[in-house]
Amino acid sequence: MFKKPACAIFLCILTNLFASVRADDWPARRGPTSDGISKESEWLAQWPSSGPTIRWRTNVGTGFSSIATQGDRLYTLGNVDDQESIHCLDTETGKSIWQHTYDCALDDRFFEGGPTSTPTIDGDCVYSLSRQGDLFCCDKNSGKVVWAKNVAEKTSTRIPGWGFSSSPVILNQQLLLGVGDAGLLLNKTDGEIVWQSGDGEAGYMSPQVVQINDRPHALIASGKFYQCVDLENGEVKWKHRWLTTYGCNAADPIVSMNKVFISSGYGRGAAVLEFTDTDAKVVWAHKELQNQMNSSVLLNGYLFGFDGNEGGEVELKCVEFATGKVIWSFAGLGAGSLMSADGKLIVLSETGELLIAPALSTEFNPTARAKALDGKCWTVPVLSNKSIYCRNAAGDLVCVDVQISKAK
Amino acid sequence: MTLHRRSFVQSTLASGLLLGAAPRIHAANKAKKYRTALIGSGWWGMNILKEAMAAGNCTVVALADVDQDVLDLAAEKVTELSSDNPKTYQDVRELIDKEQIDIAIIATPDHWHALNAISAIGAGAHVFVEKPTGHTIVESRAMLNAARAADRTVQVGLHRRIGPHYVSGMKFLKDGNAGDIGAVRMFVHSGGGKEKPTANSKPPETLDWDMYCGPAPLRPYCRKIHPGGFRNFLDFANGTLGDWGVHWLDQVLWWSDEKYPKKIFSTGSRTISGEAILNEKEQTTDAPDAQIAVYEFESFTATWEHRKFAGNSAEQHSIGCYFYGTKGTFHMGWRDGWTFHPADTKQPVVHQDAQHSEPDGHSIKLLWADFIAAIESGKRPTCDIEIGHNATNMSLLGMLSFKLGRSIEWDGAKEKIIGDEEANKLLRREYRGPWKYPSA
Repeated sequence: MFKKPACAIFLCILTNLFASVRADDWPARRGPTSDGISKESEWLAQWPSSGPTIRWRTNVGTGFSSIATQGDRLYTLGNVDDQESIHCLDTETGKSIWQHTYDCALDDRFFEGGPTSTPTIDGDCVYSLSRQGDLFCCDKNSGKVVWAKNVAEKTSTRIPGWGFSSSPVILNQQLLLGVGDAGLLLNKTDGEIVWQSGDGEAGYMSPQVVQINDRPHALIASGKFYQCVDLENGEVKWKHRWLTTYGCNAADPIVSMNKVFISSGYGRGAAVLEFTDTDAKVVWAHKELQNQMNSSVLLNGYLFGFDGNEGGEVELKCVEFATGKVIWSFAGLGAGSLMSADGKLIVLSETGELLIAPALSTEFNPTARAKALDGKCWTVPVLSNKSIYCRNAAGDLVCVDVQISKAK
Repeated sequence: MTLHRRSFVQSTLASGLLLGAAPRIHAANKAKKYRTALIGSGWWGMNILKEAMAAGNCTVVALADVDQDVLDLAAEKVTELSSDNPKTYQDVRELIDKEQIDIAIIATPDHWHALNAISAIGAGAHVFVEKPTGHTIVESRAMLNAARAADRTVQVGLHRRIGPHYVSGMKFLKDGNAGDIGAVRMFVHSGGGKEKPTANSKPPETLDWDMYCGPAPLRPYCRKIHPGGFRNFLDFANGTLGDWGVHWLDQVLWWSDEKYPKKIFSTGSRTISGEAILNEKEQTTDAPDAQIAVYEFESFTATWEHRKFAGNSAEQHSIGCYFYGTKGTFHMGWRDGWTFHPADTKQPVVHQDAQHSEPDGHSIKLLWADFIAAIESGKRPTCDIEIGHNATNMSLLGMLSFKLGRSIEWDGAKEKIIGDEEANKLLRREYRGPWKYPSA
């Protein structure tokens, strides 16, 4: 018997999941590297006083589903009259290419309701999950259903209070979901179950995949724990108690080497855990960066994210990953959301203002801001191929043109 | 405004302490820390407890909840905010037996209020109970009688009787600034639509579902009920009228100095949300999504209305109470404060902003100070159990008429419905299992 010393453990996020995609496509909820960070550069980060050009506007139905893109197609979900649709739109015009519609309750319990997960594009398919557990694999070009199943029924798993919210995560031939108390793995070609976890209440995040000792694992939250799951067999390797009011662990874990940042709202707070494949211990924990719904991003050792509960005092914050030290706070954006590209933050405020700012550890100083939408905006904006897509709860979707004009 | 509120609190406290020199149990010791228990430790219960802790006059000795996760979260919060280390109980009976509490804060769903309040009073505690007082009228009467018999202070969570803009608005009205009031309209409107049934499921392992249902019928668990959804299930509460309604009905009683109406009629439906469903597989809520209630008093008539659809802010206010007077229309609101629109349109509109504690816009801080002052002075608190009883009865009489589908005549002195035995049966209900309906 011997134990490998901790330093021998090699970890990396699977970065080659989307090997076939173009550089600036955004094939899944947190982008090609599952971290909310785009490599896209040379897009317009300063706008004239009249604001940026809005290329098109449309409506996709109620919900909080974000945008997945590939080439000139984008995919999202929305609900109209208890019918949910997977939408495929033309990114140039916003016109519908296809939509697949099915019965699905709006389930507007304490919020507007509608879908909260985002489709994932992989190969010829687009995968999506409804809050009620309807999992679809559709042909991405035609919208034809390749296979479909309700995972709550198939696995006899309870639907959590606000419905399933996990976006599908593709791992080679398999598809991982935050369903059950520690995930659900299926075969992506036919939806057959590889393994399932217990009938406990799922969290609302999407699993993060990490390699530990050359073996794929996932970090998955239930309503009560963040845990490390061996993807080969579904075995829970460690679990860190993270009890949150209403079981609302909604922000994705953010991995950096052998450390992971976790965060929840409702007074829970944030922590960085140092982990192996057998245990996790707290590096720091405090209540000063509470990601209630949307995840933070980690850039150059600093976390940028929204702290606080909607309806209360919410601030955009910069927090040092290593220590948890709060570097700066910026109020007035409500319960907003953000992603990053080319060293900048792309922020959508709760009331629909779009802001661009350099991701600095010294200050938040927007170089551009413009009203993109009215109504409640809890859905993260997405930059892809020189457009920024913003969506509100009512389903208004705008395409903001950030192409840098050629010299005249 | 902040200064004003602070001085108000201080003067309330000071008067309480002065009067506290009278020989009451807790009066002598200024540094007295009340052994306090929270029964029902979820969202609203913790809002109350946090204000109680901030006031510095309680030691949190115990927490009760039927959900162990809720208990753990609440206990963690208490230890984070103080040096208190409360014991946790999933069975409230055990808490009452063991803890010798001075104060019980009760913030369970409505169907548990009466049993918990009466047993806490029986154990010698003063009680801060959330509104409504009871789930049925005789329960509420039993709470009132128990409080009086044991000479305990019982404050009901009608914080809209003590919040600054409600107090100033009521003074404005009572001073005659709106003239003679001929009609009152209370309303709460919100958005919503058709309700699809939610699948029943196994309750969470940490939830004692049998105990949650308690004296109410044992129905299948569904995630729509708990956490946080009981209000629209009539086994456990009385819908919007039994929730928001109690606050605004109380404003009418406060303004009019009446105790009860003499005639009540209510009608409502679930036209938009759809027929209520309860079967082995799934269920919906069963409270009306739209309801009107008419309350006829000796000298005026007041109406209540709510709907849970068309929430598009087409009307100027979506919550509150209009008082229609000869000099103009007065709106008592929540976060929008109060506003007086003079009949003489040349006169300026008069308005006062709301002042609330956050989160969730309440005045629990003031109500708690008033509660402690009442315990120490032996005087009745501002939202005494009798005031809560009268306001709750208004809502329950409305629900009773809604369920019966006919108007009722109320003998408020005897608390009986005149000439309608079927209606009188609805003043109480059957309890389940070992639970005994309290005798008034």
